[in-house]
Amino acid sequence: MPAPILELRGLVKSFGGVKAVSALDMTVNEGEIHALIGPNGSGKTTTLNVISGLYRANEGSVRFRGDEISQLPPHTIAQRGITRTFQNIRLFPRLTVLDNVMIGRHTRLRTNFWMALTPNPITLAEEDEARRRAHELLAFVGLADRARIRASSLAYGDQRRLEIARALAAEPALLLLDEPAAGMNPTETDALVKLLYDVRDRGITLLLIEHDMNLVMSISNRITVLNFGTHIAEGAAADIAQNPDVITAYLGGPLDSGFAETR
Amino acid sequence: MNRRAALVVVLAVACALVPFFVHSQYILQVTDTALIYAIVVIGLGILLGFAGQMSLAQAAFFGIGAYSSAIASTTLGLSPWIAIPFGVLVSVAIGAAVGYPCLRLSGHYLALATIGFGIIVQLVFINARSLTNGPDGINSIPPPHLGSIALDTYQSYFYVAYGALLFSIYVAWRIKRSRIGRAFEAIRENEIAAQAMGINTTNYKVLAFVLASGFGGLAGGLIAHMTRFISPDSYSFDQSVIFLVMLVIGGSATIAGAVTGAILLTFLPEVLRPLKDSYIMVYGAAVVVMVIFMPEGIVGLVRRLIPSTESTPPAPLRATTPSSIADSA
Amino acid sequence: MFDLSATLQLIVSGLAMGAIYALVALGFILIYNAVGVVNFAQGDFVMFPSFIAVSFILPSVIVFGAVMHWQLPIVAVYLLVLVLMAGFGLLFNRIAYYPLRDRGWLPVVISTIGVSIFLRNLAQIVWGSQPIVFPGPFHVETLTVGGLHFRTQDLLILGVSGLLIAFQYVLFERTTLGKQMRATAQDRATAQLLGIRVDRIVAITFIYSVLLGTIAGLLVSPIFTVTKEMGGLISLKAFAASIVGGFGSIPGAILGGLLIGVVENLGGYYISSDYKDAIAFVILIGVLLLRPSGFFGERVSEKA
Repeated sequence: MPAPILELRGLVKSFGGVKAVSALDMTVNEGEIHALIGPNGSGKTTTLNVISGLYRANEGSVRFRGDEISQLPPHTIAQRGITRTFQNIRLFPRLTVLDNVMIGRHTRLRTNFWMALTPNPITLAEEDEARRRAHELLAFVGLADRARIRASSLAYGDQRRLEIARALAAEPALLLLDEPAAGMNPTETDALVKLLYDVRDRGITLLLIEHDMNLVMSISNRITVLNFGTHIAEGAAADIAQNPDVITAYLGGPLDSGFAETR
Repeated sequence: MNRRAALVVVLAVACALVPFFVHSQYILQVTDTALIYAIVVIGLGILLGFAGQMSLAQAAFFGIGAYSSAIASTTLGLSPWIAIPFGVLVSVAIGAAVGYPCLRLSGHYLALATIGFGIIVQLVFINARSLTNGPDGINSIPPPHLGSIALDTYQSYFYVAYGALLFSIYVAWRIKRSRIGRAFEAIRENEIAAQAMGINTTNYKVLAFVLASGFGGLAGGLIAHMTRFISPDSYSFDQSVIFLVMLVIGGSATIAGAVTGAILLTFLPEVLRPLKDSYIMVYGAAVVVMVIFMPEGIVGLVRRLIPSTESTPPAPLRATTPSSIADSA
Repeated sequence: MFDLSATLQLIVSGLAMGAIYALVALGFILIYNAVGVVNFAQGDFVMFPSFIAVSFILPSVIVFGAVMHWQLPIVAVYLLVLVLMAGFGLLFNRIAYYPLRDRGWLPVVISTIGVSIFLRNLAQIVWGSQPIVFPGPFHVETLTVGGLHFRTQDLLILGVSGLLIAFQYVLFERTTLGKQMRATAQDRATAQLLGIRVDRIVAITFIYSVLLGTIAGLLVSPIFTVTKEMGGLISLKAFAASIVGGFGSIPGAILGGLLIGVVENLGGYYISSDYKDAIAFVILIGVLLLRPSGFFGERVSEKA
């Protein structure tokens, strides 16, 4: 029986008078690939932003591994084991690809200001370790040969993969991905799918927002469908595809049921 | 030891020999001043160059260091070797107290808060007569001694300033290569992403601010015990602006840039002095020209012209400000 | 002790000074809204025209070390100065801003700083370092109404500023040019798509800002002596005022300026005259810590 790693209950987030998310319940199980879908403006990115701490929820609870995290600042949530990528890529543009990933590892390192001033064995060891891991992650996402290039010089698809490598450097338990396949052609999307499976196989739970329905249907274990800030369906991909509310709200027509079996 | 490190060592040793070859008191005075300003600008470089946080209060910390160390060595009779670190401590303490509330602000708001702070500090220097002697300033500040030798010539003080500068460069360099330096740069490049990677950006920004205030305070203590007379005029908003210009002209987010900019822009007015009254005007015009034609500062330009072992050239200095103030509220 | 008549007089002169801050603040905000940059030379656009004006108005003035007697009628001089400064605003736009327009805000800030240094020292070369006293356009310095004394110059300031703000309201709300300026300030890319000649509108905005500073300078020069430093503190306080009112907001700049003018006057009298100049910045820091968006600013969070 898969255990929940993330639970949202009654989540409300409003801006001024507008409720972007209202009374949202959602459960993500550990070790799964969970997709969050819905029409534009349904509150998907807002939900991700609340989970990662960028926005503070107005009401409701967000429990990660049983602990309440809804009022914590984003850096603390990252330290607890949730990292993310962004819809509009947020790399550190003028730093190298390698440095971007090294920064991802920030929370796992112990060197403080005083330790940084003088050479000491702990710092030397952990920096070497961090560099080794960063190279390994770059190889994992297929950017091994671009380590010393400025991040802003990367091609678009590579930038997305760098963002993922950076988010993985912290060894998260849960990885949030906001439209990772946006702007990708079919070849790039296939490569991304393989990468996401590899990430999951490392034991990391994935929660992703996506618009590419083929991608969503083929890789997700479970899907939550949002509309107008609240969920209208949640369950296994197969069930969602048949759900009449989803079909009406989202597609106005029957879903393409020719999806590949989940691995 | 690689080629670059060897070059740095040679340069450092060569510079240490300057007082043996230069005998003009005037040039040595300008040199000593330039070295001390370089320390201030290194501090600003950590805050603005590395972490991308704008501050126009460096002159205020320069002044706080100068005044607190001067009061310590005159009124309290402490040795300058103690008074100067004391000045650093006072600067750091005030930097932390002011930094914490202010660094929750961002971009232009932070810049403004620092402007306001700087002006208030200068007014305190002018008006708190019992403490600072008001507009008359503090004089008869004792020089430091090595045993029985007073370091009261520009020649001997060169080594005090130079040693402090080497120390400052070392500290800044170690920070830059460390996890701390990376966190600073992450904040500069994209603060939201930095937070998402687990960096407590407020704490790091305060740390950068405290470092800037510490270096400013150190430089202040050094200048007070060199000129042996200080007055509120030197610690104005205009002076903070000059420090900023030094950093930007010297170039990019590097220590070399901070030092180069400080030295160049301390010597430039002197070089232009033969133009008599118009020299500051030319200086102002030169600043505009330099910023137009050297987007990455002088150091950036040099690095482009000389192929180096680095594969990524330094970037034009940019503070982290969103394109409109509304975005930062 | 509370002194009613002193307080009323202080309020009026505070409003006048506040109106000056408001005019300069408007200059800042218009440029900021248009190009996202703070103009560090704004104060020098208050100072420089003052020098030019007094050179032509006073019976004798020292220019380049020699004594000149130009003495022209005040109104003619004011008009001349406005035209001159409009030209200068255009030059400023072309030289200090235009080459740097795609490079982000910090280079432009440094450039305006360079211009500021240049102007201040040009002023020193031309007119020397002695402060110039300019008695103002009125023969009567104070007006007494009901036992209260008011400086005539203050009343002129209030009158002119009022008219100027009304004029600006009409300009921005009712004329095509004004609407184009607002559109460019709000969303440059869209304005361009709509066919607005953005570079030209920006240049006009610069000129208008410089003129606001000029008018402020002409109005305030009889109150302070004319020196190369006169623009410095005024512009910093104006900058503070624009933040207090909510940066980017025009009514905010006006109210922020008036507020600071009045509070610093009252504070200077009742609390401490030594620290009078600090008052504006204490208010600024208070506002920044408690309500950074100011009184009229909008709170908008950055999108993820």
